[in-house]
Amino acid sequence: MRNVLSKKAAIFIFVIPFIVLYTFIMMYPVFQTVIKSFYSWDGITAPSFIGLNNYKALLSDSDFLPSLKNGFIFAAVIFVVEQGVGTVLALLLSTKELRLKGSKFFRTSFFIPAVLSVSVVGQLWTQMYNYDHGLINNFLGLVGIGKVGFLSDPKLAIYSVAFTNGWQFMGIMFVFIYTAIKSIPEQYYEAATIDGASPAMIHRKITLPLIAETYKVTFTMSITGGLQAFNNMFIMTGGGPGNATMTLTYLMYKSAFQRGEFGYGCASAVILVAECLLFTLLINKFVARERIAY
Amino acid sequence: MAKRLKKLIIYIFISIVALISLYPLIYMAFNSLKDNNEIFSTNIYGLPTHFYFRNYISAVTQFDMPLFFKNSAIVAGVTVAFTVLIGMMFSYATARMKWKLANVTRIYGIIGMFIPVQIIIIPLVIIVRDLHIQHSLLSIIIPYIAFNLSFTSMVFYASFRSLPFELEEAASIDGANIYTTFFRIILPLVKPAIATTAIFIFLNSWNELFTAMIIINDNALKTLPLGLLYFQGQFATDWGASSAALTIASLPPIIFYLFFSKQVENALTVGAAVKG
Repeated sequence: MRNVLSKKAAIFIFVIPFIVLYTFIMMYPVFQTVIKSFYSWDGITAPSFIGLNNYKALLSDSDFLPSLKNGFIFAAVIFVVEQGVGTVLALLLSTKELRLKGSKFFRTSFFIPAVLSVSVVGQLWTQMYNYDHGLINNFLGLVGIGKVGFLSDPKLAIYSVAFTNGWQFMGIMFVFIYTAIKSIPEQYYEAATIDGASPAMIHRKITLPLIAETYKVTFTMSITGGLQAFNNMFIMTGGGPGNATMTLTYLMYKSAFQRGEFGYGCASAVILVAECLLFTLLINKFVARERIAY
Repeated sequence: MAKRLKKLIIYIFISIVALISLYPLIYMAFNSLKDNNEIFSTNIYGLPTHFYFRNYISAVTQFDMPLFFKNSAIVAGVTVAFTVLIGMMFSYATARMKWKLANVTRIYGIIGMFIPVQIIIIPLVIIVRDLHIQHSLLSIIIPYIAFNLSFTSMVFYASFRSLPFELEEAASIDGANIYTTFFRIILPLVKPAIATTAIFIFLNSWNELFTAMIIINDNALKTLPLGLLYFQGQFATDWGASSAALTIASLPPIIFYLFFSKQVENALTVGAAVKG
């Protein structure tokens, strides 16, 4: 027994493919990105050290503040759609007293968009948002509201784009929250019902505090996912109109892969990751401060 | 009475959300069988009136749909097989074998979960170029394998830890070596974990756009999500044909989900949880 499980050669063979691939493709690039953010570098010729200049230039880049702001808006929109709608649906479908039928069907409907490629979702919604022929503008015409430039109005575009992301992934959040609620022991609810608490009260006092650990995970996903947004605007608006749907990832993509400023792109990637870490820490600090065990 | 009214209102609300989730996909499928005239003016919302299959023919012939489909299948298949194998071996060594650095190594392997692709991508492009694999599907398969390793190792670690340690003892008394024990005795016991990770990695690599878009330049290497983008530019006005292409790309994951909904939901939520 001892021999079998502590055989050095076997351990080496089992571990080495993972370590090599993972170190080379995941860990090494992270250090490279951080280091190269202090260099002027075009990806071809030798990089030259310029200290904090990339970061300084970033702060005065006219795309920087809009990108930061759009990341926040994107995160806020998908937070409301995913966590808000997801929670309401999960509470309704898991409340015993309501005895709602068809929960399997609803669950499947909410979830289906999550298995699609963002390419499909982006193009489908670009057609639906289309000014002249889009489904939504046709429908709005039907109920007597004028046409809306969902993707062409600079004020509206970021909300329209963010909504499609929320639409796609709300179902995952729903299943998450619903599963967490279902795992709460039945006795908690029985005791509360005997004490005469109303369903709304029970949810506020029992369900929500008990799934706080789940919220920590889902909140982090929505917020960091929103801050990192790129694919949806890349497909639907190209960052426009103007820079109305630019984000930090877009800024990185443009500087590195369209203008060949690799060092500058690295600096924006570092800022983005620092921002995500900050929000992850904040969520961990303020959601579910007391661990509840049952 | 008030109670029934309340229930009715709740049903209407839930049904509206379900409709918003589903109808865009139905709209896409309907459009794939309509001509522009129907899509734009005469029959916007309903079933197609005369099944315009020509859209599918244009999607397949004027455009490299079969090629992109094949590339996606290869990329997803190879990525799943190698990620699961490499992740499983790693987790087995860190979860059950006895060596000093087992725990440190395991934790090192988890850090990847907190690394977004944005902070990897720029050096990765250089690595792919230096390895001279940019004209092969390996240029995205290798990164996809690496991206999914942390998640895979975490799922397998948990299931290896839940097996009784007497298994190896019994096997070694029967004279089995470590490799036979691992492949013949232990692996069959973690099939649910294999299913979870395989589904998650499959969907991830089938749908991945960001890395593929940045790394792949050759038309012959494009995966479906990437190929579809250029379809949009080329056929921007032919909504029927582009809907047909979108439908073709969406059918495999949707059918897969409808057959294995429990496992897919489980895989995507576990994957999301571990990533969050």
